[in-house]
Amino acid sequence: MDKKDDMETAASVHPGRSSTPDPWADNVRRVAANRDRAAFQELYKHFTPMIRAFLLKSMGAGANRSEAEEITQEVLIKVWNKAASFNSSKASVNTWIFTIARNTRIDFIRRNERNERKIDIEDIWHEPESPEPLVDLQQRRAEQVIKQAMATLPDEQLQVLYKAFMEGKSHNEVAEELSLPLGTVKSRIRLALNKMQILIDR
Amino acid sequence: MVSFHPDAKFLTDFAAGNLPLSEAICVAAHLEFCSKCRSHVQQLSDLGAQLMVRLEPQLTAADAADSDERQGFEQLMQRIDAGDTGMTVTPAPAEPARVSSANPLGLPRVVQKLAADGVQSLKWGQFGKSLRIAPIRIDKSSRETALYDIKAGGRMPEHEHRGEEITVLLKGSFSDAEGKYVKGDFVVRHAGERHQPTATLDTDCICLVSLEQPVKPSSFWYRLMEPFVQYRLSGLGN
Repeated sequence: MDKKDDMETAASVHPGRSSTPDPWADNVRRVAANRDRAAFQELYKHFTPMIRAFLLKSMGAGANRSEAEEITQEVLIKVWNKAASFNSSKASVNTWIFTIARNTRIDFIRRNERNERKIDIEDIWHEPESPEPLVDLQQRRAEQVIKQAMATLPDEQLQVLYKAFMEGKSHNEVAEELSLPLGTVKSRIRLALNKMQILIDR
Repeated sequence: MVSFHPDAKFLTDFAAGNLPLSEAICVAAHLEFCSKCRSHVQQLSDLGAQLMVRLEPQLTAADAADSDERQGFEQLMQRIDAGDTGMTVTPAPAEPARVSSANPLGLPRVVQKLAADGVQSLKWGQFGKSLRIAPIRIDKSSRETALYDIKAGGRMPEHEHRGEEITVLLKGSFSDAEGKYVKGDFVVRHAGERHQPTATLDTDCICLVSLEQPVKPSSFWYRLMEPFVQYRLSGLGN
């Protein structure tokens, strides 16, 4: 674990926006404001291995290593080009980069299936935006709750979340792969979400 | 007030990027009306990000040596400098595009994009007195997706579902035996369920509909009409 992650963990003991600085937000701001290459290089160094790992797992059987590499580059180029649209009160850099990687993956899969690109993926899967400041503050707290609760999840719950989010599998595909009834997959995800205080009102 | 929402399965598959396009468009349309679900999707994206951060880093041979990592970065910057990125730099965003006055029907952004030249330019097919349907072609593999326009007070033929049907109300309201639905509601019907939606009297009702299987109309006249409906729908899908 590097120094920045330690800072993040320490900060999470005291919830609230002012005391949960996002260690990478300043880098993105410097890229946006000054086209700061040194700041971008730090982002590159930290995020490239995890973006690549995510894409290798989630791009499906159709993707080979060089394609995953190409899409990783595409994600990083978007980080550079879209830095000005990053809003640290609405999402952490982690979440922002995850959504960019997720959308780039969806786009790649559609291109691979030779679909007409009549609709832009980002018209459907928007990057984080939320209206009220109050919601934004709750949002940042929620992120800390998720992070802490994730460490306590039983393996079987973590496994289904992992397959859904990192391997890009739908509920049905996860059920099939694990030879579990769909209802079991649903309830494992539901239990995990409850612990992380997501969707508890449903 | 919106009171019917996508369930945890829809929202999770959406946030993880695993929902097929037609269903994802329905969820996106609902999100534009529902700040609560927007915030849920944001939290689910936070969850995805936390899982990504925990992944074992995949290093390429090039990353193994520090000098090679620098080289990878230099190559990336060369591409960026050369403008070989297939995109332009995004300026800081103005107000996020929401339902606005430039859009008198107040349709969600995703629907406006699908009907790029305006809703009136869609190819509407008239079915009976009070129902018009405009198919939306997304791609070959997607479910049948369409806008339905039901005249105020109009009644759709009673029909039974052979597969899942998602309806997102974009304008007006309708009711069936199960309840009353208003703008923004995300209503799911499953295979085997029958219903007969009726638009309320005061205003026309516009819905976005995603159908897993063609519906099976249960009244005799509609069944007679079905081959025609199927023919028209597939013919209109261009």
